[in-house]
Amino acid sequence: MEISSEEARELLAQAQDAATRTRKLLACRGADALFVIWGLVWFLGYLGTEFAPRLLALTKGGEVRGETVFWTVNGLWLALIALGTAVSAAVWKRRSPTKTVCGARFGWFWLLLYVYVNFWIFLLWPFIKVEGAVESVRFWRHMGAIGATVPMFAYVVMGLWLDHFMIWIGLAITGLTVLGLFLVPAWFWIWMAVMGGGSLVGTGLLIRNRWR
Amino acid sequence: MGRIDEVIHQSLRLQIMASLVTLDPRETVDFVYLRDLLHATDGNLGAHLEKLEATRYVKIEKTFVMRKPRTFISATAKGRAAFEEHVAALKTILNMK
Repeated sequence: MEISSEEARELLAQAQDAATRTRKLLACRGADALFVIWGLVWFLGYLGTEFAPRLLALTKGGEVRGETVFWTVNGLWLALIALGTAVSAAVWKRRSPTKTVCGARFGWFWLLLYVYVNFWIFLLWPFIKVEGAVESVRFWRHMGAIGATVPMFAYVVMGLWLDHFMIWIGLAITGLTVLGLFLVPAWFWIWMAVMGGGSLVGTGLLIRNRWR
Repeated sequence: MGRIDEVIHQSLRLQIMASLVTLDPRETVDFVYLRDLLHATDGNLGAHLEKLEATRYVKIEKTFVMRKPRTFISATAKGRAAFEEHVAALKTILNMK
């Protein structure tokens, strides 16, 4: 078969272009939708954490017991996390461009992380449950910061294997969480809804527009 | 020096193979994504995939995801080796002339 150098150059360029576009596709892997879903979960969860106690007080006509607020806010988060997980699994299954053994492993990784964090809190509970702590707003703000930074740690770890972009997102949101905790403690939940949830949604939209 | 492979030499088949060898060997790509990625039509991509499958360069797996039919494609070890050889041959031509 006779092939000219121009033809060879053209074919190699086409092959290179196809490989580059595939790498970009792999970098995205339907992650845009997952970032948007979890950004919305954060946005609604943190707004709920801020406003649920006030709504409870309004509907009950006065002071509400700390325990009632605790179970309401936790119930809201559990419902949102369950919904986010179900929607993420369905979207991933439907939209992921590739089928890989890694997909299931990531699912197990997140589940194990969730179990371990709750286990660590259970182990530490006798030491952190000092008199009046659970009733204090500051205590829950710090617990909220832990709840926000644990998944960001997971982003950093996943970024080591998948795409370094995730490392920067994880570090940026961890930084924003710490800033909010110490600079605007009174507005912490709203800060997290806008800065944390907003950053995740923004990342999803950025991936969708730039990488596809 | 590699060998020019007449099956892979066709432009779209070369791009299909270039895309598939970028994936992890255990990874498969959705037909629709591959079609959009290569700006091909269903019929055109399907025909070239059949040819690649006949030479056992690719593996085509038809399955159902959430009750919807989906087709996943991957490069075989034989296909990967043939692609590498073909690219090496093209590079040699480029360097010789």
